[in-house]
Amino acid sequence: MDLQIELQDEQLLLLPERAVYWPARETLFVADTHWGKAATMRAHSLPIPMGTTEADLKRLGNAVTRMSARRLVLLGDAIHAKEGRAKVTLDTIYSWRQQHKELEILLVRGNHDHGAGDPPPTLKIHCTNSPHIEAPFAFQHHPVASEHGYVLAGHTHPALHLRGLGRQRATVPCFYFTPNVGTLPAFGSMCGRALITKQPEDRVYVIAEDEVLGV
Amino acid sequence: MHWMDSDGEVYPPLRVLWITPLRALVADTEQSLRTPIRDFNIPWRVEARTGDTSNSIRAKQDKRLPTALITTPESLALLLAKPEARENFAHLECVIVDEWHELLGTKRGVLTELNLARLRTWTPNIRTWGLSATLGNLDTALATLLGNPAPPSRIVRGVVPKTVRIDSLIPPQMDHFPWAGHLGINMLPQVLEAIEEGETTLVFTNTRSQCEIWYQAILDARPEWAGLIAVHHGSLERKIRDWVEDGLRAGTLRAVVCTSSLDLGVDFTPVDRVIQIGSPKGVARLLQRAGRSGHRPGVPSRITCAPTHAFELVEVAAARDAFEAGKVESRFPVERPLDLLAQHAVTVALGGGFFPDDLLAEIRSTHAYRDLSDAEWAWALDFVTRGGEALRAYPEYQRVDVEPNGLHVVSNRQIARRHLLSIGTIVSDSSIDLRYVTGGRLGSVEESFVSKLRPGDFFYFAGHSLEFVRLKDMVAQVRKAPKTKNGQVPRWDGARMPLSSELADAVRNRLEQARMGVYQGPEMESVRPVLETQAEISAIPRHEEFLIERVKTKEGHHLFFYPFEGRLVHEGLGALFAWRISRHAPITFSIAMNDYGIELLAPDPAPLEAALDAGLLSTNHLGADILASLNAAEMARRQFREIARVAGLTFTGYPGQNKTVRQLQASSGLLFDVFMRYDRENLLIEQAHREVLEQQLERSRLGATLDRLSRGSVRIIDIERPSPLAFPMLIDRSRHRVSSEKLADRIRRMAAEANA
Repeated sequence: MDLQIELQDEQLLLLPERAVYWPARETLFVADTHWGKAATMRAHSLPIPMGTTEADLKRLGNAVTRMSARRLVLLGDAIHAKEGRAKVTLDTIYSWRQQHKELEILLVRGNHDHGAGDPPPTLKIHCTNSPHIEAPFAFQHHPVASEHGYVLAGHTHPALHLRGLGRQRATVPCFYFTPNVGTLPAFGSMCGRALITKQPEDRVYVIAEDEVLGV
Repeated sequence: MHWMDSDGEVYPPLRVLWITPLRALVADTEQSLRTPIRDFNIPWRVEARTGDTSNSIRAKQDKRLPTALITTPESLALLLAKPEARENFAHLECVIVDEWHELLGTKRGVLTELNLARLRTWTPNIRTWGLSATLGNLDTALATLLGNPAPPSRIVRGVVPKTVRIDSLIPPQMDHFPWAGHLGINMLPQVLEAIEEGETTLVFTNTRSQCEIWYQAILDARPEWAGLIAVHHGSLERKIRDWVEDGLRAGTLRAVVCTSSLDLGVDFTPVDRVIQIGSPKGVARLLQRAGRSGHRPGVPSRITCAPTHAFELVEVAAARDAFEAGKVESRFPVERPLDLLAQHAVTVALGGGFFPDDLLAEIRSTHAYRDLSDAEWAWALDFVTRGGEALRAYPEYQRVDVEPNGLHVVSNRQIARRHLLSIGTIVSDSSIDLRYVTGGRLGSVEESFVSKLRPGDFFYFAGHSLEFVRLKDMVAQVRKAPKTKNGQVPRWDGARMPLSSELADAVRNRLEQARMGVYQGPEMESVRPVLETQAEISAIPRHEEFLIERVKTKEGHHLFFYPFEGRLVHEGLGALFAWRISRHAPITFSIAMNDYGIELLAPDPAPLEAALDAGLLSTNHLGADILASLNAAEMARRQFREIARVAGLTFTGYPGQNKTVRQLQASSGLLFDVFMRYDRENLLIEQAHREVLEQQLERSRLGATLDRLSRGSVRIIDIERPSPLAFPMLIDRSRHRVSSEKLADRIRRMAAEANA
């Protein structure tokens, strides 16, 4: 179940696929896909099973199709590392790309992209450095305030820890909006996460399986 | 056969290998072996090889090992991973495994078995000596050490059993004594008195944090003892520990507050009294610690227990009963750990390489892998050569290479380096060196503790109050803080010791007596008011009766179950009960347990009666239900941490690690989820489940417990306030969770509560 919020007078949809959709621009945002992380680990002889990048791409495709998105913005750390550019992984991404030929893709480079290099030209992903400005927003990888607009970013892999009656607790990935910066949860399923501390002025929305909930 | 080294010294090659579980024991052993060798003018060289060994000695040993070498299982594995290992060990005649009881029952014991099998392949006639404390199953200990086929062997027992005196410090006022807790600092006056009575006292604590806290408390109460008392635990710098141990031997110290770091090893003759803070949790452990005192002829060993909460008095009385009845715990060897098998295969590939059939025969000669199946062996080989069955398409993968003649070797230097850094089986948080800004090393603390410190924070370590200055290159820099500053105490990870089944039995007997109004001995007399309160609020359960207490507090609805079977069984039983009850209604439980019982806590009342009617205690479908419940409680997921580390899926890294290493890190929990989803048949996942079942849950005992409980009657008592028995679980913060609710529903409720 998606959740509609208002940010800088714009309507945004928060999707349980760990993505944000901006209907006015028919644009889908995701951050920190870290494609090929498992492949990177395999290349260093850590025997991690195959299938993670493929499953992540399937989830991304779902979000694109469900929203009929015209454009996809990757907020940095698209490919995990140089060693992750294994043929199998790149082939998987390429065949996914073939299923979404019309989709325009923009990558705002993050720290991993500088190490891993831009995606191969065959994937037709336009790459740019931070920030990319589209008022009222500034697209960045690092979640730091910008004079150019309200920042949409990734990098930190935010998650929220909740407690409740009966000593219950749960840690869940979240969308984290401070007054100047909105941070998306990490899209890649091989990513770790960092707990946030919610301040009174912050808005936080968590992903509980197939739902997005305000907390 | 003699050989002259670069210093012109003449000594024979390696003949005697001494394996010890603790690095702390190595220096002492080295000293005691050197004395006779020097006295008899034997031209041998005796040296140690551990993580503490200096680079210059290492370099020398790499050219030629000493005649007698003292080492740990991990350092031995590292020596076996050298290409020239076989020549180095070619003249070995004798292996002595010290404190074998300490290794038995752990994966370090299995590592020792594998090392021994390697050495026996090279020189089949090695004589093996095992040294062990009293165990309930010495025959198994012997068989495990010798492997198959076993050479002729015998067990030599000490001649005269030592007199042991077990007593307690009795709290003066039981009505003010806590029902729960683990620090025991309110017994400080009695402990001080006991220290004053003795000449040299060892004060054993169960954790390193407790050790630091007690040291500070004693020093605050008796400032004039500064310099006469000391602190000793495994995270302290070697030099500090040496200083303490020398002081103990010389009799210049009045008391040393310590952890299991002083459980083992060479005797400190001046020690005439041992104080145990908190329950020893087992008879063998109690005897071992008692044995650290009274080393002069005719002097008995004496151990005095200081309870940290009321029920520990029952445990001490029960421990004395069990000791008098001659019931000492057994330790059961670990069976077929595949994570370690994979690690060992890489070690052997580094140490000269192997042909699979030869190595298989060698591995099957160990007790641990005597029943290793062909399929498991094939899996392990695949794992190290190809990364596992699922990865055949991955040409990049390369850990162990196969040469054209079939020899398995490691040729990638990065793999070799990483393997050498992660050999062994001990899992800990990555530890951070603790140093003064001026450079002197104090010891190590866990990364998780340092990460919570801010510059200017104070904390206690090695008996000093320290100010945290900065974290730099995996080193926490500190300076001495003024004495008046109160600080926090680092917490080190450490499993809680479960009550042994022998002791659990003895505790049940003491409680049964109490129910009949029989309170025998000073401990039971002292704890009487608490047990009477228990009887008044709820009940002391009868032998054949299963007591369940139900109470509502501001935290929610609690159920307390009392099987009295020890923490390990309760861990499994708690998950099973939670899972079975949660089948009846969407509910979320948090589970706590101790040695006496289990608590299930939920925001709503649990359908207990319905679950009991439907067979909560039944042994039907037990296997399937246990599997489902331990997955629900994420127990296998937690167990996977150690397995992933030993099998080389994760590793803790090393100082100054570069970016490449950081890019390879993923938490073991995340990896467990990935394997469960994409490679569920992986044998490491199966091993995680098996280890939880066999070791953590002691499945047979769990089935036997259910059988016992279902034969007796169930008594549910609704109580107004938590009983003394319930209280320790009520305040326990480390919990498992089992839920049959939808995550979104749970979160909606938690969010609503937070905003209410």
